[in-house]
Amino acid sequence: MKLTKDEQEDFKALVLPLLDELHRLAYHLCHNQCDADDLAAEAVKKACENFRRLRDRAKIKPWLIRILSNTFISACRARKDYRAIEYVEDTDQEGEHFSLFTQISQPFLLWWGNPERELINKLLDEDIQRAIGSLPVEFRLAVVLCDVEGLSYQEISEILQVPIGTVRSRLARGRSILQKKLWHHAQESGILTRKKDDHENRKKAHQEHQL
Amino acid sequence: MKTEKKHIKSISCEEALKRVFDYIDEHLRGKSRAELEHHLETCRHCFDRVEFEKLLKSRLSKLKVEAQSETLRKRLDALLEQF
Repeated sequence: MKLTKDEQEDFKALVLPLLDELHRLAYHLCHNQCDADDLAAEAVKKACENFRRLRDRAKIKPWLIRILSNTFISACRARKDYRAIEYVEDTDQEGEHFSLFTQISQPFLLWWGNPERELINKLLDEDIQRAIGSLPVEFRLAVVLCDVEGLSYQEISEILQVPIGTVRSRLARGRSILQKKLWHHAQESGILTRKKDDHENRKKAHQEHQL
Repeated sequence: MKTEKKHIKSISCEEALKRVFDYIDEHLRGKSRAELEHHLETCRHCFDRVEFEKLLKSRLSKLKVEAQSETLRKRLDALLEQF
């Protein structure tokens, strides 16, 4: 049903200030400008069509995020590369407890500066966004909503319509897989190798100096 | 203050690590939070782990995104005009 003139004005007044945030969320989920544009546009279209169902207008932002998240999940499910979360949970156990910190914080490295901080500083936005973009869909949503958008477990639970325990579990798995991907990237791109060599050279020089 | 700390239960590193993400996400409250903070005061390894996870989370929150494309803005304007 077509919105009245007043409703159209209300919709615009509520949604226009949130467009940048919606687009940013879409971009982090899709990691692709074109797909992000499509996702944001589709979400706004659905929001417009269902605007009369929004009872509490103060909740426009979580409502829009929920529409965008659901639109994203539906689009992913329609694609062949979609991996159901049950499949991921059953088969990708090795990622469950992966910690980038544990991998980096080797005792001899701790003597020299702060390798964890240096690694994070050396990672480019593009590296991190690519790693996020490769996470399984439900894990990606949890990580993006919590770590990128800064939403609380309660807000994410309401947006995704899953219990808080499920949010917590998806976040744990998502973060673990993300850290594993960043670790592999750091190794493949040489960030860690160079750093390790540098530390070893400095350690050797320090020992020689002491002799 | 010292008397209060005596009543805080000591926890192991394993237990502390289970609470790290709830802590950095500001979802750890009351006794559980006090126990973890007490542990972090005495365990350098767990303290460093928490600092690392905070840093990574902060890095994610600052990811930059290309400005909203002109094409999308035009599409949305056209869409809003339809309704």
